[in-house]
Parts: sequence; C-alpha cells; structure tokens
Amino acid sequence: MSVLEVKNLTHTYGGNTPFVNDAVKGVSFTAEKGEIIGIIGHTGSGKSTLVQHLNGLLKPTSGEILLDGVNIWENPKEIRKVRSKVGLVFQYPEYQLFEETVFKDIAFGPKNMGLTGKELEKRVVDTCNMIGVKPEYFEKSPFDLSGGEKRRVAIAGVMAMNPEVIVFDEPTAGLDPKGREDVTEIIANYRRCTGATVIIISHSMEDMAVIADKLLVMNKGSLQMFGTVEEVFKNGDALREIGLNVPIVTRVFYELKKAGVPVPDNVFTVESAVKVLEKLRDGDGNA
Amino acid sequence: MDEVMSNIIEVKNVTYEYTDEENRFTAVKDLSLDIERGSFTVILGHNGSGKSTLAKMLNGLNKPTRGDVFVDGINTKAEETEIEVKRKVGMVFQNPDNQIIASIVEEDVAFGPENLGIPPLEIRRRVDNALEAVDMSDFKKSTPHHLSGGQKQRIAIAGMIAMEPECLVLDEPTAMLDPKGRAEIISTLLRLNREKGMTVVLITHYMEEAENADRVIVMNDGEIIADDKPKVIFSDVKMLKDVGLDVPQTAELLYKLKSNGFKVDTHALSIKEAAEQIIKALGTSYTDSEEK
Repeated sequence: MSVLEVKNLTHTYGGNTPFVNDAVKGVSFTAEKGEIIGIIGHTGSGKSTLVQHLNGLLKPTSGEILLDGVNIWENPKEIRKVRSKVGLVFQYPEYQLFEETVFKDIAFGPKNMGLTGKELEKRVVDTCNMIGVKPEYFEKSPFDLSGGEKRRVAIAGVMAMNPEVIVFDEPTAGLDPKGREDVTEIIANYRRCTGATVIIISHSMEDMAVIADKLLVMNKGSLQMFGTVEEVFKNGDALREIGLNVPIVTRVFYELKKAGVPVPDNVFTVESAVKVLEKLRDGDGNA
Repeated sequence: MDEVMSNIIEVKNVTYEYTDEENRFTAVKDLSLDIERGSFTVILGHNGSGKSTLAKMLNGLNKPTRGDVFVDGINTKAEETEIEVKRKVGMVFQNPDNQIIASIVEEDVAFGPENLGIPPLEIRRRVDNALEAVDMSDFKKSTPHHLSGGQKQRIAIAGMIAMEPECLVLDEPTAMLDPKGRAEIISTLLRLNREKGMTVVLITHYMEEAENADRVIVMNDGEIIADDKPKVIFSDVKMLKDVGLDVPQTAELLYKLKSNGFKVDTHALSIKEAAEQIIKALGTSYTDSEEK
C-alpha cells in the first residue's frame, strides 16, 4: 500500500532573480507502508530540498505530494496536520532541544497535536521505552546529556508524534561509531514497532546496505535511480560516475570475481559476504 | 644547541581537568606522547575520549593542568612565547564555516600572515603557495560561501599553511563533510605530508582515514590504549569495538572470516589485499576439492 507518492516534483530556488536554480527537477517516486528508503547523492544533489517537501516545509514549484492519496497542499490551512503525520528529523537535531527537561522536550510535539494529561504522559513514556530513553533521564536538562544521548532525545521528540512517515536527514552525522550504531538501531526498531515508513538521507553505503529496503539516488536535482538495494548497487559503474560508490565489501567481491572466484554480484553486507564465502569453501569441500 | 630536534612536539605526563563550581572532570590522564617531525599521526577515539582536549594542548590553546607540552622545545605554558608556539603548530577545526572570515578566498588565506606583520610581497607568495598546496588556486577570487564543504575546509587549511607552521593539528576536519569532501581533505593532507614534509596530526573517528598514516594512536577515557602502525591497530578488531570504535569494512570482513576458520591475515587493509587474502584462503580448499 502506498503511503506517500511524489509526482513530478520540481523546486526552483530564487525564481525571478538572476540566481534561479532548479534544486529538484521532475522527481517521482512512491513509498510503501513499512519500507525503509535510503536517499543517497552527493552534497548539492537536492536530497535535503526533496525531503523538506514531504511534510510541507517547502511548497513545490510544480508537481505534487500525495499522503494517503490526498495532495498535502489541497488545503494549505491544514498543512500543520501533515507535519504530525510526516515527521522530519533534521541534521544535528539536538541543536533544536530547548525545554527544561527531557520529558517536556519529548512531550512538546504530541502536546501541540492536542494530547493532554494521561494520554500525553503515556505517549512520551511509550516512545521512551521503545527507543531506550531511561525514566531517570526524564527530569534531567537535555543540555546535561552527552552528544549521543541528546540526539536520541531529539529523535524521540519526533517519534512521539507517532508519524506514519518519518524522514531523517543524515541521522548519524557527527556521531562516533557507537553512536551511529545506536541511532541505526533506534530507526530499525521504530519501523518494527510501528510499521511506519522511514526515509533516510545518508552518505554511508555500508549503513544503507544493512538497513534500507530501497535506495533512491539523486544527482544534480534529478532522480537517477530508484529500486531495491540490490538493483541500485548492481550499477557500480553508474554510481561511480556520479561520485558515489558501492559498499567496500562489494568492491572486495568485484576483485574476487575478477580473479575467477565464482561469487554472486549481490553481496552488500559483511554478514552475507561471510555466508557466501563459507558456502563456497564448505560446498566445494563436500563435492 | 642548533641541532634540530627529531620531535616537533613532546607531551610529558600531561593531565587536563575541566572544573566548575560543582564538578571536576579529568579529560586527559597523565599522558605522554612524542610527535616526530615529518610524521603523519592519526589519533582515534570515541566522543569524550579526550582526543580533542589533547589536540588543543598541542598548540597551547589548552594549557595542561599538570605536566608539560613542548613545541620545538618551547614549553606551551610560557606566556612570552605563546605566539611562537601557535605559529609552529596550526589548528584546523570541525566546522569550516566557523573558520572562514573574509568574503574572498585569497583574502581569507591572507588573514593569518597579515596579522603576523609580513610584508605584502611575501604575503602574496605565501597565499599563492598555500592555495596551490590545497589545489584551490582556481578559486582564489571566489566567495567562500559558494564553495562546497570540502573546498571550504581546504581554504581553512590553506589559511593555516600560509602561516608556514611546522605542524598541522586537525580536530575532526572531515566530520561535517560528505565522502567526496572527506576524500579531498585526506588526499590534501597526505600530499602536504609526503611532498612538503609537513608534520600532520589528524584527529578523527573515521577509521578509513587512518589507513595511510605512519602511526595510529587510540585514546580511551583520557589515556592512550594503543599506539602502532595502522595495519596492526586495525587487525585488533576486538579492542577497537570494545572502546566504541569501528574498523574499515575490509578488516571487519577478514576478522569475521578468521573467526569462522578461514586462514586469512587480518592485517590486509586495502580492497585488493583483502581479496588476495580471501583467494589464498579459499585457494587450498579449492584446489584440494578440484583434484578429488
């Protein structure tokens, strides 16, 4: 079932000025319920501009965005409702923490949606349980937390609105490896618990190979490829041409294949690489 | 006395404490370290391991609570030589936007040497050299905010090079950049080191940036827990994971293969080397079975 449909979206910055620039050009794609879609593309390829349309932060110059079949700009006065259905987690979301306590910060979104009293409290507690914000943090100031913890709280604030679609703009940027792993885990867990659709902008092909179902490749404002992880990563040459690449482990497998080892083309994670090589070793041993 | 010391920086039993009214936090604990002239050293560590605090002590931005740091033999605590220390060791930080001040690239690069009171002709030479060194000469008349993150960070590095320091210390200079920008910075640093003999100390948590370093230091909890060549450090996958770091995907693959009984050398780092190791390990079982 398609949740979000982007049709022929174009966004022009600086119209009517000499600096006119098409940041996004004629992009169309559909996101199904419960999918994780990774958006990849180098800086300036239009990724951030694209996702800011999904919850109505930017208005398309032309084209439309359908949420559950309804154009989100059909009634511009209702655009705020769209923003609680499509949650957007910006880059460095911890810079937007502002409340006195962790609890109040996480409660801010659902409170604005009209939740009060016990219902509000339950929503915050449930979200915190789901993503591992411990109750002893509730009364702390968000500014006393470590970088990784702050990010977790900031993400919780968006998740507490129970969005059907949640969009992350480089959720792991600036974190250390442990922090990156934690955030990836939180995202996968949110999908598992809620069945929501997740869209993630990322620079890490290795991370996307593990977490994403589909990949959307942006280049110079246009959609270059959209398909399953396998469909996209099979186009190594095309990706390299636009300054991207396939995961490192896949590149190791290219070398193996070149040397005549009979390995498949669809190895994108360390886990599947180990399995394939074990089979190759054991299989041949039994022959 | 005129003999050139082989170490540009010497850190001797240094402790650094952050204190406010209520709290005291020891970020660096009794740490000693020598940085050899002309070397390329990478310091790895997770957030809060003390690596940035240490970096700021290397040019006297932070003064040790206990112990001493010597730059080219000068103690960073001595007030009268503070500027000399900062001229010898240039710092580059994470966010390029915070380090660029002028509205034209070449003026930004000239800012440092101008403040040193260097004559105009000499400034011209230094700015041209510095932009050349980071491969940004074509952009000298550009406006910095129209450049990419990687380009801006190269301008920030050029600004430091124009002061002609003997050593560059970079504190996570690639953390806010995309993969292309990161690759630009790393190749720029390697070139400066290999061709111009610049001493480089690079602080990062991207393991793949350490692959070509002479030496990798791992910090955890304010202390150095490992100090060796990259291949040796990266083959210790367990130690790195224990301190919250990850390893290049090639090292992780070989490590997992090894624990599954493959006879691979986990010191292989490049994609080619890793593939060679796998072929070798498969090779025996292959040829054996083929013969059967």
